[in-house]
Amino acid sequence: MPGRGRCPDCGSAELVEDSHYSQNQLVCSDCGCVVTEGILTTTFSDEGNLREVTYSRSTGENEQVSRSQQRGLRRVRDLCRVLQLPPTFEDTAVAYYQQAHQLAGIRTARLQKKEVLAGCCVLITCRQRNWPLTMGTICTLLYADLDVFSGTYMQIVKLLGLDVPSLCLVDLVKTYCSSFKLFEASPSVPAKYVEDKEKMLSRTLQLVELADETWLVTGRHPLPVITAATFLAWQSLRPSDRLTCSLARFCKLANVDLPYPASSRLQELLAVLLRMAEQLAWLQVLKLDKRSVVKHIGDLLQHRHMLVRKAFRDGTAEMGAGEKELQGQGQGQGLGDEDVGSSSLELPAGKRPSSPALLLPPCMLKPPKRVCPAPPVSMVTGDEDISDSEIEQYLRTPQEVRDFQKAQAARQAAQGTPNPP
Amino acid sequence: MEETYLELYLDQCSAQDALTPSRSPLLSPAVPYDVDMLTSSNPETAFNPQLEEVTEASGSFSAVDLSFLPDELSQENKDQTVIRSKHEVEENCKTQSRQIRLPLPSQLDAGLALNSSSGSGSHSHLHPADGNSAQPSPEKPHSMPLASITPMTPMAPISECSGIVPQLQNIVSTVNLACKLDLKKIALHAKNAEYNPKRFAAVIMRIREPRTTALIFSSGKMVCTGAKSEEQSRLAARKYARVVQKLGFPARFLDFTIQNMVASCDVRFPISLEGLVLTHQQFSSYEPELFPGLIYRMVKPRIVLLIFVSGKVVLTGAKKRSDIYEAFENIYPILKGFKKA
Repeated sequence: MPGRGRCPDCGSAELVEDSHYSQNQLVCSDCGCVVTEGILTTTFSDEGNLREVTYSRSTGENEQVSRSQQRGLRRVRDLCRVLQLPPTFEDTAVAYYQQAHQLAGIRTARLQKKEVLAGCCVLITCRQRNWPLTMGTICTLLYADLDVFSGTYMQIVKLLGLDVPSLCLVDLVKTYCSSFKLFEASPSVPAKYVEDKEKMLSRTLQLVELADETWLVTGRHPLPVITAATFLAWQSLRPSDRLTCSLARFCKLANVDLPYPASSRLQELLAVLLRMAEQLAWLQVLKLDKRSVVKHIGDLLQHRHMLVRKAFRDGTAEMGAGEKELQGQGQGQGLGDEDVGSSSLELPAGKRPSSPALLLPPCMLKPPKRVCPAPPVSMVTGDEDISDSEIEQYLRTPQEVRDFQKAQAARQAAQGTPNPP
Repeated sequence: MEETYLELYLDQCSAQDALTPSRSPLLSPAVPYDVDMLTSSNPETAFNPQLEEVTEASGSFSAVDLSFLPDELSQENKDQTVIRSKHEVEENCKTQSRQIRLPLPSQLDAGLALNSSSGSGSHSHLHPADGNSAQPSPEKPHSMPLASITPMTPMAPISECSGIVPQLQNIVSTVNLACKLDLKKIALHAKNAEYNPKRFAAVIMRIREPRTTALIFSSGKMVCTGAKSEEQSRLAARKYARVVQKLGFPARFLDFTIQNMVASCDVRFPISLEGLVLTHQQFSSYEPELFPGLIYRMVKPRIVLLIFVSGKVVLTGAKKRSDIYEAFENIYPILKGFKKA
């Protein structure tokens, strides 16, 4: 550049300003000799403020990428780091984000949506690698609404044509249970509440498996079920000391949020356990209730497969044609209630408490909220005559129109002067 | 001699038609299927006794609701819709469809031909497997679905129909009134209208019979929602157009189209949604964290189904009633496979 001097080596006037790792340099474009250099460090105290420039920033890689996309990619990387995901996840999530950004609908979307999109990409990556990350966690990290998140998530899965497997329940249980702060004594957690992690994990897993078998998990959010199962597992490992502790207090102790549906899941799980207990002869005589059954959860879980089979009749047989079919199929389906020792081929309306219950999701066991009457078969053709009187009932008479206009004007006036003197 | 038998049978059929309102005699040949269902135990009975059963069957046939059939139908369409509708509307058919063995001779009248290609692939028993004289010629103008009358051996059983009919819950339709409207004037002169320009740029009007809601825009376009059948939607749209007319606008009734139909039904057994999403991953989307139901996007016909664990199914996205029925018949065997957890 003119006026800047000449290269000391070759004498050329073509000097170019170039930066090398944020250090300003004046370089001769002919021979490459560095004429002057910017100062790398100023004082000893300043050195601490300098950060290294990453490779991606010094190359021209980001010049073709729009600033909003750069921001989004940075957000994706930050999320992966916060969640402490393995390094390969970051690359996949970034690739998804770049793919998504190619779509016109995403490129022109609001900033809020692009923020949420970063979370969606991370979630999809985790789901595909069986890393148990819930949408709730991502939404908390993004400070986003679940509605906004769900809309963007469904849209991006459809647009990119991705195959997203379901949340892996077993892994979620392990991760979630480990987050409960009950494994060592602390000022807030008395010694009698401290529990061994492995024992609690294995029992929780068994309870969640039981819930899955008895239709308590399908269609529901997985987390409250796991909360309820963890609570029961914890209680059952030392019932004498822990029966007095409620679910809410348990979650507060463990420093975990209590999801709202967890208490109803707990009731459902206890009902299932009670039904199973009725099949064990030595428990029948004890006449267990929801609190006392907790003491025997260990035994019940040990024989859970057999007990579930015995305690619950296949709900589908009942829903079929009628009595005949039920009785015919009942024998083949292991309806046998041998512990009770009486014939079990009776209708569910039997008064004996140990007659097998229907194994159905809770929504099918509850009576319908309102009976929907079958709509009357109307023989409307669509071309019938429409009487004038029928139409006139919907029109205002001129007098009514005048009254209405007067009323509207009065209302406008009243609104215009909010503080009448 | 053989012709007399045939005519006798046809006379019986047209006698039944007097019971079912506004049905042409050509629709009655669908009765054989009905008879088939009811008298499946006796495929070899002689023709005469079966005629009596035909009249008995007529009672149940007339009870079947065929109101969804469109008013104007070409001859061939009529046959096809009847065949399809009959199969769709069958009630509680537990037995498999079989052919009636009618000892009719192979020579048929010139006016009779088999309407073998009824359009729905699953009803393959209509095709005469053994090449008898009744040559199927769908191009014939007076073709009638008399496939069952020709002597045929019972074919292999076809898959059971579900016996469940989805009930229509909502129809959305649009119509063009073809004139600019003054929404303020409509809101002032109509009792059943609400207009809040700051919230939404249309008048929301409701009528009591059929119980529907309409969105009327200033461009003259109108959306009618809430009806339970196509005819009700059309009647309601006409009533709204009449109201607008009475308010002094030159409203017409152009391009009435059904945009969306929503139906629901209950299969009455619990469904394992996790299993369903595993095997039908490319069509299903199941996110229990977001929504308790599984969203199944069927490709043919293009219908979206919401499947819940209780066995309730909601079908939406249809433009025609037959799409809904077809979609349900497609999904029912899949759901049956996931009955148990």
